[in-house]
Amino acid sequence: MQKILIVEDDKKIRQELESFLNKNGFLAIGINKFDNIIQDILDEKSDLVLLDINLPYLDGEYICKEIRKVSNVPIIIVTSRDNEIDELMSLNYGADQYVTKPYNIQILLAKIRGLLKRNQNAGTTMEKIDCNGFVLNLAQRTIEKDNKQIDLTKNEYSILYYLSINKGKVVSRDEIMDYLWESEEFIDDNTLNVNIKRLRNKLEEVGLVDKIETRRGQGYLLK
Amino acid sequence: MKFKDFIKDKIILIVSIILAVISIEILLLAYKIDLIIKIYIAVIILFVILLAILIEYTRKKHFYNQLKENIEGLQEKYLIPEVIKTPDFAEGKILKDVLQEIESSRIDNVNYYKNIQEEYKEYIELWIHEVKIPISASKLIIQNNKNKVTKSIDEELDKLENYTEQALYYARSNAVEKDYIITKTNLKEIVNGAILKNKSTLLNEKIVLEINDIEKTVCTDSKWATFIVNQIIQNSIKYSNPENKKIEIYAKEKNDKVILHIKDNGIGIKKGEITRVFERGFTGENGRIIGQKSTGIGLYLCKKLCDKLGLGIELNSEKNVGTEVKIIFPKNSYITF
Repeated sequence: MQKILIVEDDKKIRQELESFLNKNGFLAIGINKFDNIIQDILDEKSDLVLLDINLPYLDGEYICKEIRKVSNVPIIIVTSRDNEIDELMSLNYGADQYVTKPYNIQILLAKIRGLLKRNQNAGTTMEKIDCNGFVLNLAQRTIEKDNKQIDLTKNEYSILYYLSINKGKVVSRDEIMDYLWESEEFIDDNTLNVNIKRLRNKLEEVGLVDKIETRRGQGYLLK
Repeated sequence: MKFKDFIKDKIILIVSIILAVISIEILLLAYKIDLIIKIYIAVIILFVILLAILIEYTRKKHFYNQLKENIEGLQEKYLIPEVIKTPDFAEGKILKDVLQEIESSRIDNVNYYKNIQEEYKEYIELWIHEVKIPISASKLIIQNNKNKVTKSIDEELDKLENYTEQALYYARSNAVEKDYIITKTNLKEIVNGAILKNKSTLLNEKIVLEINDIEKTVCTDSKWATFIVNQIIQNSIKYSNPENKKIEIYAKEKNDKVILHIKDNGIGIKKGEITRVFERGFTGENGRIIGQKSTGIGLYLCKKLCDKLGLGIELNSEKNVGTEVKIIFPKNSYITF
């Protein structure tokens, strides 16, 4: 399991983030002592650090700079300051991402996943995802099965991509919506229904029936 | 200073001198002095006095005319003692001293309020950053406990967040030049950022978005621009048509400008009110109806920020047809304040 370190001095935010990330399949650890923070972060040897800017003793930007001197761990800076200058500064200090409070948790999750993925296959880019029975071709945006290829529209592709990276997990409609909106496809509820229906039809064309399961009140599941 | 006015001021002196000359002439008459000497004395006295008056007049005229000219050309009038020479006559010196006193007391006074304002602004900014922490915490709690009730609270929190953001930009609006960076930005990022902020409302209200041709490079500060576009979109949502809600967003290039159009098919604005929508506190008819509380701050702030950032903003509207706002971005980074 991938370990995420939460460096945040507000107790409630820390606890809620921990519980949210734990629920989503990460091992989240919150730090509650800040007097020796840089060493503590390095000692944890986590896969990713969520770093608040306003902290007791030292501020996040300084911590970020110090960590970068010895470690390449992905860092996401979380802050309530939100001007361009702060953003530029923290990227200068070596942070990988910058999220402003009050952040959208789905966006944060997507950023965490993206960063972890990039870190894992650094250098290689994924071109295809094997989805138990068919292959999703990321470069061509197609479904591939037994030499058959079916083109997907942009929306269909995005939905299927999100379902496939969460293969075997129930994904809520909200989550899919958040992902689509984040990818700048501003679709509404109806369009989502239509797209899911079309996706199912396309999967049936290659003989895959009921590949996307609807869980009432919960969301969708790619089996 | 007119000569007539100056003479009026000197009238007592002039009358006394004439009386003195007359009395001298009467005395000389009693001593049976030659006529020529009598005339000579009178002329000499009057001539010398006239000369003295003329000299004094030119000196004063020079000083006061300069004073008047300077004060007309000066934008900040209280700085007048800085631009005038110290005159060489007593009254003028007193005047300059007094003006100097006024100036320094005025500057002290302005600084006093400047400090108060600055402190208040700092406090507001600090407060907004602080208030974002409990908002964040609440949003996280909602994410971890999703149900109908928390979803509704989440929408209210979105409103709260938008209001705090408005307050932050209001506090900053007087000193825009202190925290912005002009960069080459894709207009798409600005528009999408603003749309994302209104995601839950746009979805819940089932508003159709039509977005076209916004992949254009503009030069501006993306955070500020996103805030402005966000305010406009929020208005479009607020005053949208109860049926078939639709917002169109597209951009067009014109010479060295990119014009962003944000168009809704909402309730529109009454003809007589269009010119006043950018006034501070103006709410108009729409602000009072359909239970949509209007603060009259949003568009005022947009206009103010646009002016400071060198962007143009225009609004056209037709009652019951819709409203269109145009924001004009420069393509190059040269802006004037």
